[in-house]
Amino acid sequence: MAPLNLTTAIYLLFTYTVGLIFVIAVVLRIYQYAVTPQPIKIMLTPAPLTKSGAFARVLGEVFFFKSLFKSNKATWVFGYLFHISFFLLIFMHFLRHFIYSNPLPWWYNIFVGIGIVCGIVMVLSLFLLLMRRVVIERVKFISLFQDYLILVLLMLIGLAGLSLNYVLTPNALTVVDNQLDPYMNGLLTFQFTNIPSNPLFLIHYTLVMLLILYIPFSKVMHFVGIFFSPTRNMADNPIEERYYRPSAKDLSI
Amino acid sequence: MAKPKNKYKVPILDGKISIPKIVPGASAYEHMIEAQKDDMEALGFPFKLQDGWKDKALGVFKEILDHNKAVRDYMDICVRCGACTDKCQFFLGTADPNNMPVQRQELMRKVYRYYFTPSGFFKSLSNAQELTEDVLKEWYTYFWQCSECRRCSLYCPYGIDTAEITMAARQIMDSIGLGQKYTTEVIHKVFKTGNNIGIPPAALRNTLDDLEEEIEEEGGKGVKIPMDVEGAEVLLVPPSADFFAMPHMESLKGYAKVFHKAGISYTVSSYASEAGNFGKFIGSYQNTKEINKRIWDEARRLKVKRVIIGECGHAWRAAYMYSNTMNGPFDFLDSKYKQPTHICDFTLGLVKDGVIKLDPSANDDKVVTFHDSCNVARGSRIGDVVGGQFTIPRELIKAAANKFVELREGTTKESTYCCGAGGGLLTEEVMNVRLAGSMPRMQTVKEAVDNHGVNFYALICAICKTQFTKVFPLYGLDEEMVGGIHQLVSNAIIM
Repeated sequence: MAPLNLTTAIYLLFTYTVGLIFVIAVVLRIYQYAVTPQPIKIMLTPAPLTKSGAFARVLGEVFFFKSLFKSNKATWVFGYLFHISFFLLIFMHFLRHFIYSNPLPWWYNIFVGIGIVCGIVMVLSLFLLLMRRVVIERVKFISLFQDYLILVLLMLIGLAGLSLNYVLTPNALTVVDNQLDPYMNGLLTFQFTNIPSNPLFLIHYTLVMLLILYIPFSKVMHFVGIFFSPTRNMADNPIEERYYRPSAKDLSI
Repeated sequence: MAKPKNKYKVPILDGKISIPKIVPGASAYEHMIEAQKDDMEALGFPFKLQDGWKDKALGVFKEILDHNKAVRDYMDICVRCGACTDKCQFFLGTADPNNMPVQRQELMRKVYRYYFTPSGFFKSLSNAQELTEDVLKEWYTYFWQCSECRRCSLYCPYGIDTAEITMAARQIMDSIGLGQKYTTEVIHKVFKTGNNIGIPPAALRNTLDDLEEEIEEEGGKGVKIPMDVEGAEVLLVPPSADFFAMPHMESLKGYAKVFHKAGISYTVSSYASEAGNFGKFIGSYQNTKEINKRIWDEARRLKVKRVIIGECGHAWRAAYMYSNTMNGPFDFLDSKYKQPTHICDFTLGLVKDGVIKLDPSANDDKVVTFHDSCNVARGSRIGDVVGGQFTIPRELIKAAANKFVELREGTTKESTYCCGAGGGLLTEEVMNVRLAGSMPRMQTVKEAVDNHGVNFYALICAICKTQFTKVFPLYGLDEEMVGGIHQLVSNAIIM
């Protein structure tokens, strides 16, 4: 095993720290949402009459953004495109790790091609989401620094990722790919190897780490919070089944 | 249309519900009158800001965050997508950006960020703000321009409910002595006399006697409105406006006739002479529970078999949604019936079973439309099936009248607009806010009047009835159009 360089040492420390903070902060947040009692039933009616129905309602929001669809079609299209392409990309990044082998499967280029399309869709939809905040008076009024920050950060991640495929020569890209695979393996098995030294790759990687670090402290936590939203996840059965939480104080309803 | 001679800002009715250009501070000077000393103390709140109010407020804020999942969750997860920005009738009517749901929430969220999140030295960048007297003034202004109708929550991708945030803010303000006169006065009256209007038992009996006479004169011989009768089958709890206000009383006559014809013994109570629950409006669990408890204590004392709630929106939500949690199950009542029962469900059941007969041609002079009241539409259910709160009132109207038209699509059922005066806003000093809030609904009413000749506006909410009776003339419409569903029943029932 080759001796590790300083860059790799720094990135290893950075990656583990970020990973640890992310996991701890998200778990704590889930715990906090889970243990905070909901004093009273507040589901928005008409609501499903059963718990499983209510859970299906939440899944409808998670997978199809049903309420947003009712609310604003343009926002739904932009938002939906972004979320779909973003999740496909995350999934494909993990998948790539399993299919990157020597020799490459014949469909590897198709796989990468799909990834590139997703990347372009993601950056474009982010751009449209950003334009909403700039152009529509009401949305501009409510937008805060952190709203622009997350859009720009995600766009930069997407652009840096795409540029790896477009700016680098095929040979340079292969070098990155060949180094990345054992590095990622090392993160899981503690058999460390050097991180790819290509600066474009390092920019992409660093930005992703910053994003992961920022998520638990940002509005991105909606991906957890949506499951705990009482107006959506409660069943309409207050008479049939008594809802009572002794740990809820006689305070605010 | 005659120009109303008054001091109010009456929106123009052109049939359009358009999204206004933002006018910051447009309704910043529409204030509620502050609460009085004896009312605040009766509700368990201090009077006026005391030294150390800020620590107290933050303490209560923290307690709410730790004991209310909705508030805790909703403080964090808003992404400011803007889906709610054009959904609130108060923004559409006032153009004040603080009346956009997300921005109303932001008034509280910026304080949350300052004290309860690690925004650190990014405070100004991330819009985190200290709780100052100025911020408190903003809270008092804008959290009292929300009618807690939850239209925004319907359209929010995460279901964020501004009503919950408004209630929490009002609870925090009350706990440091910054209360609103109207709601605290009303709740105090309930504690003293059993109803929002403050009618003592003897006066209530007199009114009921008068009503009995009126019914008799109108051809309803022998129809009684019993009070405090032990052993009656049904405890009827209408909103107290049904005893005294017009057009509410017409519905009470309707209930009385239905009970009379069905031969079901019933009673109203002088102790629980109020279905409404203003404790809910100020977000106070304790006060909501106390008010609700009166109904169930009285049901036990009078040994009735079932409880029926009159035409009142938030009263129905409190009775249907809250009482089992707050004051325990209804196991002492007859389990044959749904407890509590909504009066529309009850009457429609009797019509369907052929126990009472309605002659819809008695209302042939009327073209009826129906306004879904927010707390019924989005906060509760009537009957056994999902959406019964929409179908049951409509079925009852159609049984009692031949001509029925719907209001504009997209503004009915769960998408209904608020009347503009719910949630404790039904008070004179914010008349301009009430007018602005009623604007979207009034556009659709005007349309129904012009295009379909609608001349009867059916409601099942006491606040809606009072609000529309007040604002219809200001818009140049006839206040006589406003009435309850049981007013139609009262006309149509074959005696």
